[in-house]
Amino acid sequence: MVRSNTRIFLLTCAAALILVLLSTGRHYPSTLGISYIREGYYIFDKVITSPFSFVAEIWDTYIGLVNTSRENKELKKQVETLRVRSMTLEELKSENRRYRAMLEFKNQRQDLSLIPANLLSHDITLIFKTAVIDKGFNSGFRMDMAILSPDGVVGKVVSVSPRTAQILLITDPNSAIPSVIESSRVKGVIKGRGGNLLSLEYVRSTEDVKVGDCVVTSGLLGFFPSGLKIGYVQEVKKDANKIFADIVVKPYVEMDKIEGIFGIAQNMEVSD
Amino acid sequence: MLKIWKFQISLFGILFAAILIEVGIIPLVWAPVRIDFLIGMIIGQIIFVPFSQGFPFIILSSIILQAFSGARIGLIPLIYIAVFVIIDVLKNVIYLENIFTQALLGIFFYSLITSVTATVAGSRFLEDAVVPMVAGMGLTALLTPVMVSIVGRLQAAYDVYGS
Repeated sequence: MVRSNTRIFLLTCAAALILVLLSTGRHYPSTLGISYIREGYYIFDKVITSPFSFVAEIWDTYIGLVNTSRENKELKKQVETLRVRSMTLEELKSENRRYRAMLEFKNQRQDLSLIPANLLSHDITLIFKTAVIDKGFNSGFRMDMAILSPDGVVGKVVSVSPRTAQILLITDPNSAIPSVIESSRVKGVIKGRGGNLLSLEYVRSTEDVKVGDCVVTSGLLGFFPSGLKIGYVQEVKKDANKIFADIVVKPYVEMDKIEGIFGIAQNMEVSD
Repeated sequence: MLKIWKFQISLFGILFAAILIEVGIIPLVWAPVRIDFLIGMIIGQIIFVPFSQGFPFIILSSIILQAFSGARIGLIPLIYIAVFVIIDVLKNVIYLENIFTQALLGIFFYSLITSVTATVAGSRFLEDAVVPMVAGMGLTALLTPVMVSIVGRLQAAYDVYGS
């Protein structure tokens, strides 16, 4: 009995020693067939789980596509919404820029009493150059009131109703504004040519007018204070047989692109 | 009688929509271009509506258009009444129901109206507005048969004037 116990004790110690040596020494590839047990487990696992994996894959790739398609539609909608929002933000940004320019102009010209307004519509014909604004009599707009934009003179009010006003743009053939060349003080009348250009009329051929000269309002009629920028001389044609020169002026304001404008209140103070 | 009123009110609704497009939407896309929607409506009136009711419609329409133009008071109604009378005379000579005829009439009257107003106003718009004018002419040619068709469809829908 004692021998048997001693044998068991010795065997246990030997087994423990072997296990200690195996666990603390270098890691050798298993040589005791353990790897084959893993291989067997792998095959067993594949056989058991493959049908489930197959079904799961079909579910994910085919039936699940129904959800993907729905998700895709949702995402597309979201993209569209974000795109529209981005466009709106761009528009707000440009509107903000415009209002900032208008505010800066208003601050610069504190000598003038300015009433802001926005453009509502353009003229229905190709020939006449008028526009309708979103402010009228109720906001202080009156007949013959001068209309400006931060870039220069736009026109004058020709018709007014409580909430809207019609303005005659300076490019309209019926528009005429007493003006002067800023540098040489040569006087003339700026008239619309019907397109996007103006004519400086009644300027003698002998006068010194150069391309690039700035044309401003002379303040003679009273509707427009003096010194407001109208445009610059684009072309000068002088004919010895003609009394007056043919002067083409390009307006500073792009009439097709105006949005925000100002009306100068009638009780304005002339700038100089 | 009620049908006639409904028909005429619908026509004015279409006219206002056309004005909104003409003065508000088109200038946003390409500012100098103008399309004439009324030429098509005039042809439609002549084809589908008796003179006694078509003529007052044209007078009222052109007065409405006058409010959106800087032209001297009376010029726009005068021009469109002249166009109405000319086409009314032409209906005995040419077949107005043909869409190509309608498109050609659109081009012809668009250029005629532009030339007359330019002459009356002393405008030199051709210096820098040839392309918008040609574009406007082309678009008017396309839209004239559409406007004629709209008038015709409305007339058929309301079943007025014993169609």
